[in-house]
Amino acid sequence: MTDPTPAIEVAGVKKAFGRVKALDGVDLTVRQGSLTALLGPNGAGKTTLVRIIATLSRPDQGTVRVLGFDVARQPAEVRARIGLTGQYAGLEEALSGRDNLMLIGRLAGLRRAAARARAAELTAGFGLSGAENRLVKTYSGGMRRRLDLAASLMARPSLLVLDEPTTGLDPGSRQQLWTVLMDLKAEGTTMLLTTQYLEEADRFADLLYLLDHGKVIASGTADALKAGAKAASLDDVFLALTGNAAAG
Amino acid sequence: MMTAPTVAARPARDSALIAGRNLRVLAKNPGRMIYPLVQPVVLLVMFVSVFGNLAFGTPAAGAHAAAGAYRQFLIPGIIIENATLTAPTTGLALLRDAGSGLADRFRSLPMSRVAVLAGRAAADAVVFAAQAVLLLAVAAPLGFRVGGGLAGDAAIVGLTVAFGLALAVLSSWFALLLGDQETAERVLFFPAIALAFISSAFAPVSDLAGWMQPIARANPVTAAAAVIRALAAGGGLAAPLAELGAWLAALILIPGLLAARRWNAPR
Repeated sequence: MTDPTPAIEVAGVKKAFGRVKALDGVDLTVRQGSLTALLGPNGAGKTTLVRIIATLSRPDQGTVRVLGFDVARQPAEVRARIGLTGQYAGLEEALSGRDNLMLIGRLAGLRRAAARARAAELTAGFGLSGAENRLVKTYSGGMRRRLDLAASLMARPSLLVLDEPTTGLDPGSRQQLWTVLMDLKAEGTTMLLTTQYLEEADRFADLLYLLDHGKVIASGTADALKAGAKAASLDDVFLALTGNAAAG
Repeated sequence: MMTAPTVAARPARDSALIAGRNLRVLAKNPGRMIYPLVQPVVLLVMFVSVFGNLAFGTPAAGAHAAAGAYRQFLIPGIIIENATLTAPTTGLALLRDAGSGLADRFRSLPMSRVAVLAGRAAADAVVFAAQAVLLLAVAAPLGFRVGGGLAGDAAIVGLTVAFGLALAVLSSWFALLLGDQETAERVLFFPAIALAFISSAFAPVSDLAGWMQPIARANPVTAAAAVIRALAAGGGLAAPLAELGAWLAALILIPGLLAARRWNAPR
């Protein structure tokens, strides 16, 4: 019997910052074990939605449930089950990679021995062996991203939320990161990510949501979206639906 | 999903982890300790060399004894002045944390949120203690006498740490109110300078400008300097200690709660 609880249920969510409506009635569901991509032009509301799901921000209206827990009323339960990789690395630059993983693992509730074992496992798995004792400020952009992702995974979250995880990385580093994400997916981790690289969404995501002006304007599999818009690529779907020539 | 243990807040453990992180940053980047440790010693030597020979107290006691009396008065003032001017760095460090991706990471973890503030203050307590020990070590050959020997020195260090922490908590709240790091860097030191100088740190209240005297009398810096002077003299603690205790409790509790509320506010 499959677990009927969705990993994420967003219903009628609105959020304004002053006069700017960042989210204007968003509904969205993420199935457990799936990889869901949030697409949309800059300012569409992707990061706002991710921050609400990760309990960093609260919706003005509507409800968000993560694995059945309400983000506004049960944030501690949500935090115990998610990993967040934000747009900006959540790392202490003046500490080593290992110290960062230990700190975040311990704050996430792991005991010292468990945190040490998990940190060793993740540094090896993410190609950071040999660099774990160096201060993070000496890391390259790709290493920093991988360490940031490793930090999010210390407590083995059921749901991983990633805000533009591959932005700013060279093609090699992007590919390396996707290999890691696909391994996580194979292990059953649910993922929600935002990206500006539509070909990544096309290749890897089970389901796509296209956001514009704080609303979901299209959703479905990549193939369904392309077929619906009679477009050859997701780029064309994106441009046709958002009317936005500047997709970056 | 319901089998996962219910999340329990662990404020003490999380604060200790955050304090450990802040201290480890200092240990791994020892250059960051140069300024907080060297600057107070330089100021102490300068102040004592420039002002330490001023005649003080009853002229009948003789010029030499009077100068010694001023040193005995001045050095506790410098110890407290230094803690007062160090306190804003706590608020600035907190704002730096708040503005980094690490703040979002902390907020997304099932950890105690107050721990980020409490851990920062706890780590800075170590800095306050190191400063006080160093100042006492340099003050001794300059002629500063502490009655009660090591116990007296320990009491002075403990009191300086408590006082520094109270102002560090206050600076955290101010910093979070200001919100912007660059603004805070420019603004936070003004109240610290006013607190340090409109007090009996460097001169008795009765020698200050008339308008300063009521402020100086109420100033916790005055109470703290008085307690250290009494500790150094080896007695007469009761009155200033009670006043200082009330100040410290109020300064830690009220700005502490306000700072925690501000840090925790959903955005």
